[in-house]
Amino acid sequence: MKKKLLIANRSEIAIRIIRSAHKLGMLAVVFQSDKEPDALYLKYADEIIAAKDNGNEKSIFLDADRIVKLALENNIDLIHPGYGFLSENPDFAELCVSNGINFIGPSPQLIRDMGLKTVAKSMAIEAGLPLVPGSDGPVNDAKAAKEFANKIGYPIILKASAGGGGRGMRIVEKADTIERHFKSASDEAKAAFGNGDMFIEKYLQNPKHLEFQIMGDKHGNVIHLGERECSLQRKHQKILEEAPSASVTPAMRKEMGDMAVRFAKAIGYYSAGTIEFIMDEDGSYFFMEMNTRIQVEHPVTEMITGVDLVDWQIRVALGEEITLKQKDIKINGWAIECRVNTEDPQNRFSPQTGFIDKIHFPMKDYIRIETGVQSGSVVTPYFDSMIAKIIVHGKDRADVIEKTLDALYEFSLIGLKTTVPFCRTVLKHPEFVSASYTTRWVDSVFTPEMLENDEDEMMGALAATIMYASEYLQLSSDTPSYKNDLLNVWVLNKRLNY
Amino acid sequence: MGTKYNYRRDASRLFIAVRENGKRFKIYIPKDSKPVIDGEEKDIDFLEQEDFHYTFDWNGKKFHCELVSRDQNKAVIKVNGVEYRYSLESIFSYIRRGMINNPDKQLNEYNIFSPMPGKIVDLFLSEGDLVNEGEPILSLEAMKMQNEICANCNGVIRKIKVQTGQSVMKDELLVEITSIDE
Repeated sequence: MKKKLLIANRSEIAIRIIRSAHKLGMLAVVFQSDKEPDALYLKYADEIIAAKDNGNEKSIFLDADRIVKLALENNIDLIHPGYGFLSENPDFAELCVSNGINFIGPSPQLIRDMGLKTVAKSMAIEAGLPLVPGSDGPVNDAKAAKEFANKIGYPIILKASAGGGGRGMRIVEKADTIERHFKSASDEAKAAFGNGDMFIEKYLQNPKHLEFQIMGDKHGNVIHLGERECSLQRKHQKILEEAPSASVTPAMRKEMGDMAVRFAKAIGYYSAGTIEFIMDEDGSYFFMEMNTRIQVEHPVTEMITGVDLVDWQIRVALGEEITLKQKDIKINGWAIECRVNTEDPQNRFSPQTGFIDKIHFPMKDYIRIETGVQSGSVVTPYFDSMIAKIIVHGKDRADVIEKTLDALYEFSLIGLKTTVPFCRTVLKHPEFVSASYTTRWVDSVFTPEMLENDEDEMMGALAATIMYASEYLQLSSDTPSYKNDLLNVWVLNKRLNY
Repeated sequence: MGTKYNYRRDASRLFIAVRENGKRFKIYIPKDSKPVIDGEEKDIDFLEQEDFHYTFDWNGKKFHCELVSRDQNKAVIKVNGVEYRYSLESIFSYIRRGMINNPDKQLNEYNIFSPMPGKIVDLFLSEGDLVNEGEPILSLEAMKMQNEICANCNGVIRKIKVQTGQSVMKDELLVEITSIDE
């Protein structure tokens, strides 16, 4: 009998996981949430469980108890949590395991450990990973925070021990504001994560964000699949990623990769995982955290290594041994991922909801599209604004930048604004082209005017004029003195041809 | 033969689109050829046309233009995902406004005066026509020679003060032209 794999997630990642489930001969099962009953991913599944989460406070994807209950009722063998939602919630993983369901990911204990930054850091220190100078453990109160900050020097960053996604995080430039920032960050953390513990770190002014992909099995084998650079972020969230990173030399790749593998082995990690580093302008790097899920940007790694990470996540969960050896992992060319979020880059990335009248993706053999929507889909305010990803492979960095730009010009979406013009602007910017960009790019370099260009401006004027002119000429023709030659033949001919 | 004139006669096909940053586009939409933008015919094709959404091809590049909102003569167009705002007007209202704001310059600068005494043998254009710089407006016969009198700007013929067969003096006002250029 075929194994049943339940995906506790939605949108593009659900479709991505369904693909792997089918490749491995399993039945893919998904939830139908009342908050988006016509979602695209439902079409790809073998079985659909009605979540009936309409009246519920939480959508099904955040409701661990109901997920497990419904999984048991539907004889589910494995659960893949995707990313976001409950993917790094140790209680959910534990609940799956204790109910005899195979949770696709590392052990619940490791999810718990890595989720607590202070615990993760002490494990990293043990494994010999370099850390940004900072407090060894949580700092109790604002006064202690101030004393510590004075010791390591400003600017410093306050981080919630249980935090993520930028919540409970504050940058403090000088001593006289630290007490105020400490209190508000701690309160925010308490509200968001139920834990107000804070720790302090030296704040790097212009860092790059690098991360190493690792894959381990339950037999103690761990390999790394190179790095990704995810420095392009807005509101602490990634928006464009590339692999490999131009800031990592082959020697550094080996050093950092070995370090990541050593760490994963030391803690007994299995499944896919990501070890995040922050790199300073002088090339020194520090361990930040470990992500215990499959990440949004995993396709760039797949594109340059040819390794299917989701396949391996599932196979590892089933107890298979990783047959790939470190020496087999070769980096081939360069890949870039652009996230298509329904956000308005001309207006502080404010989210856009509504109908996608028409969406068109570029199609080339070197382009991979991961989408959770199609023409006619609705973007609701209930979920994340990311609707698709455009991943492009090239032979080197210059080649992939050019190909990605072409792909983004081919993309079109009628109805809502997206981050695609923003990605185009990034790809054309000298700091991106020279790979000197850092996580501060959006805040310190980007302005909405950079989204505009002379050609688009002129074509917009033409479009506006044609729309205006067809009405204007129509009006004029109603007066008898005017010759009746209405609409442009240039326009009409095309109307007949297309 | 000779110079290629981009603007055709019909001035009602000429429009001005002004962006909110002040940038101005003069766009002529001919009946039977490609659009003329700021005096230059552009090799732009339509790939798609729906009511509020056009896709153009220009030099192999695609431009997706979508009408986002419209309020009288103001329009917001999303071009390749980025919004631009324009206000639109016909060339007539544009000239009218120009004349109110700067009457002397608009009225007199490009008028055509007779360079010599002679007889009007032919008029090539009519009032209200659009004319290109260097384009002949009328033919003036003097001393048994026919001279073509040409426009000295891209503009609209506001008034023709003479008729075919009429004799004119030197420096007599023949044609009033208003420039459509700045």
